Amino acid sequence: MNDIAIRLQGVRKAFEGHVAVHELSLDVPKGCVFGLLGPNGAGKTTTLRMVMDIIGPDAGTIDILGRPADRSARDRIGYMPEERGLYARMQVGEQLLYLAELKGCARADAQKRLSPWLERLGLGEWEKRKLNELSKGMQQKTQFVATVLHDPEILILDEPMSGLDPVGMNLMKDVLVEMSRAGKTLILSSHQMETVEKMCDRVALIHRGRKVLDGTVAEVKKQHGQNAVVMAFEGDGRFLETQPGVASVNHFNNYVELRLGPGADPQALLKAAAEKLRLSRFELVEPSLHDIFVEKVTAAGETLPGEAAGGKV
Amino acid sequence: MRVLSVVRREFLERVRTKAFLIGTVLGPLLLAALTIVPGLLMSRAGKPLKVAVLDEDGSLSGPVRTALSAAKVAGNPRFQVHDVPGDRKALDEAVLDGRIDGYLRLPQGALDAAQVEYHAKNVSNLPDQRIMDNAVEQAFVKLRLAREGLAADKLDAVTKRLDLKTLQVTQAGSREDKGAGFIVSVVMLMILYTSMLMWGQAVMSSVIEEKGNRVLEVMVSSISPSELFAGKILGVGAASLAQFLVWTLAGMGASLYAGAAAGGLNLPSLGPLVWGSFVVFFLLGYFYYSAMYAAVGACVNTLQEAQNLMFPVMLPIIAAMVSFPIVLRDPDGTLSVVLSLIPPLAPLLMFLRIATVPTPAWQIALSIVLLLLAIGAVNWIAARIYRVGILMYGKRPTFPEMMRWVRHR
Repeated sequence: MNDIAIRLQGVRKAFEGHVAVHELSLDVPKGCVFGLLGPNGAGKTTTLRMVMDIIGPDAGTIDILGRPADRSARDRIGYMPEERGLYARMQVGEQLLYLAELKGCARADAQKRLSPWLERLGLGEWEKRKLNELSKGMQQKTQFVATVLHDPEILILDEPMSGLDPVGMNLMKDVLVEMSRAGKTLILSSHQMETVEKMCDRVALIHRGRKVLDGTVAEVKKQHGQNAVVMAFEGDGRFLETQPGVASVNHFNNYVELRLGPGADPQALLKAAAEKLRLSRFELVEPSLHDIFVEKVTAAGETLPGEAAGGKV
Repeated sequence: MRVLSVVRREFLERVRTKAFLIGTVLGPLLLAALTIVPGLLMSRAGKPLKVAVLDEDGSLSGPVRTALSAAKVAGNPRFQVHDVPGDRKALDEAVLDGRIDGYLRLPQGALDAAQVEYHAKNVSNLPDQRIMDNAVEQAFVKLRLAREGLAADKLDAVTKRLDLKTLQVTQAGSREDKGAGFIVSVVMLMILYTSMLMWGQAVMSSVIEEKGNRVLEVMVSSISPSELFAGKILGVGAASLAQFLVWTLAGMGASLYAGAAAGGLNLPSLGPLVWGSFVVFFLLGYFYYSAMYAAVGACVNTLQEAQNLMFPVMLPIIAAMVSFPIVLRDPDGTLSVVLSLIPPLAPLLMFLRIATVPTPAWQIALSIVLLLLAIGAVNWIAARIYRVGILMYGKRPTFPEMMRWVRHR
């Protein structure tokens, strides 16, 4: 009995001149929505490419659905790379069937699933058109159908929301939630943490090829406490930076997000703010994953061997 | 088999293009134009020209008329001599109203001045005029010799013209070759050369297109790069073979037609060995060069970038095209034999030897074996370069880098 969809153990990948992924270990349980988060260049795409055997790891092991990764295991994954790409001069329907076939899916089975998927994403009338006659947004949706048409158990989507307009993003979110409800395992990678954090059950934050933290979203947030404040007001909010107990302030003109230091009293802050500003909102909130990430990375700056001991290697 | 899916797609994608259709149809049409049309024209021109003779000298008419009536092309009389009485004006009218095609005017003293005029509506019919020139000259020579006292019965023997026939000796027996064998083998060589280049470059540009589309990452997450490589080369190869076979069949048809057209046309009938090796060497050449082109395509991001890298790939083909006159001049010479055994040159030069002289079977077999070994090696190296190259964007790799890719894991 194994309920791990994907397990990475001590995976390492170096390119000429730099190490992209350091001894990374991750467990993605079956049926969860897993967020692989981190800034650009953190090693997310390299990690996913190793899972898909597009590049081989220098060290470590990758298991898929409880077995060492091989082709038949990878056939059960749908992968949407960050670099989107399909054949520009091939018909949408034919192209999708071809890609499903390459995943070991029988053409007839793919054919049966094709129309419902195209309808679901509003591409019904475009089946016989060439890809380059479609708009960018529709091409993105076609790419998504290419990822799911062979009915994979695991979906790996690298930056799933990039390039989509708000309507497209909403549709994508709805489809992903449906798939999660249908029992699929989803791995979403993104550098825009806000866009995916609401959908994820579990996250792993990675930075410079190392895992900074992972766990369920609830756990992660709980560990960091309710020490964030958002305020909306009229007036000049710059004085907030110098208030006692305020660790950092993120200004958005008449709106701020600020983090409190350990042991700070939110009541004192409210009092001070009410004196100088016309407040329309003052709320204690959980920090966003982005804030936690920034805090973790800056705090770990001295202790992470990769950064502090960089010169010793 | 996923490779088969790739082969199928590559084949269909190519065969469905307009360029493929046009190319496939245009080849045979051109061949037809080159063989059947002149044949048709020739048989129409077979109607003899109606000519008259205006003898102002008074003593030349008889022999000239005899000579013209005797002039034959492919066994048929070329001229029909008509009697049109009257002077130049009457004859001009006869020409204009179409009773005759033209007339020969033999002026006073034409025999010594060696000057004769041909009056006709169409005076640009060079082949016929040359025949006429020859016939009249023959007649004049006989007349002059007779005037010098040579017996009439010896005249034919003395003035007999030389007929140099060239005969090719083959195992199947001698056959007459009127110089067309040379032209045909060079034309076939050119077709081989352009086809190999064209299809090799088709493979290259499709790899570049896939890189440009960024579709390769999706592909490689499903099948291995070597399967993709093999599928592409085989699929495009199948399309190229389809086109090449259509051309070859059209060529065979044309040569049969020309052979049947009773020597009127000078196309030699080529044996099955020549046609067979035409196809076999095309395929071998395709597999050798397209693998290299695929590797070049994998190393670059645009067609422009490919130009520099293409040169070393094309070098052997160019070398073959530069050295083919050597082979043609002395197909059995040591140099020709050696050149035609070198794998990159063999598809062109061994074919040329087979097409021109009877080539020893062991040499043909050896060149094919060497070429197959080279194809194996080139494909192995190219597949390894391809495997790394297709996912590399940015700077074009240097040669040492490419060698590292080959050794890599």
